[in-house]
Amino acid sequence: MTLVAKSSLFQQRLIHTSVVRKDAPEVPDFSKYRTNIDSNRALSYFVVGSLGVLSASVAKSSVSEFLQTMAASADVLALAKVEVDLTTIPEGKNVIIKWRGKPVFIRHRTAGEIEEARSANWKSFRDPQSDEDRVKKPEWLIMLGVCTHLGCVPIGEAGDYGGWFCPCHGSHYDISGRARKGPAPLNLEVPAYEFTEADSKLVIG
Amino acid sequence: MSFATGLYNSFFRRNSVFVGSVFAGAFFFGVGFDMGVTSFWERWNKGKLWKDMRHKYVEDDA
Repeated sequence: MTLVAKSSLFQQRLIHTSVVRKDAPEVPDFSKYRTNIDSNRALSYFVVGSLGVLSASVAKSSVSEFLQTMAASADVLALAKVEVDLTTIPEGKNVIIKWRGKPVFIRHRTAGEIEEARSANWKSFRDPQSDEDRVKKPEWLIMLGVCTHLGCVPIGEAGDYGGWFCPCHGSHYDISGRARKGPAPLNLEVPAYEFTEADSKLVIG
Repeated sequence: MSFATGLYNSFFRRNSVFVGSVFAGAFFFGVGFDMGVTSFWERWNKGKLWKDMRHKYVEDDA
């Protein structure tokens, strides 16, 4: 019979659950000064929680104010708009203006051109989009004059479809600015715009 | 059950509820603080703001 040394498995208990001796001679007894041990508990947590509320809102406003410094200010946004007087553009004419460094085509379409743009079978196009989706008022066609293929500026009143023609690689756009022929993958982009002052002015941006 | 015990049992007992109510409280505190400071500032500067003197310079031709 051999004896196994059990001391190698012995582990000293570092945490114990025995009750503190309240009648230890060195420790003064404060219990008679306390009416209830838990009496300040809710107040303590309330103070901690209030500090947490304050710190969280300080942190939130620091982050959001920092992010707002990166946003464009109101004067910059106002400069990024362009106003066009529409009364000077006769029917059936193109006008090219510059907006944020890019050309914008404005076409005052005739009734025949509107009819042509709306009667086309747009569901079979490469980038299917109806003419109603591309214009807010049917007689005014507003779009960015940047070819969706490689970014040339198309020529107005040219091409096989009576709209625009890009001389770089031969993309044809129709009278609604939709890609009909050639390498262009998408229709000409329509910027955000609105009509003001009883439809006599156009604001792009 | 006293008020303090009810407060403790409803908000402070679980840490998840405690932290959650701290964040929710921070959200509403931020909104209310902004509104309060703005209304105080506008009351303090009454008469000097653009909305108080706009009618002197712009007449609406509506």
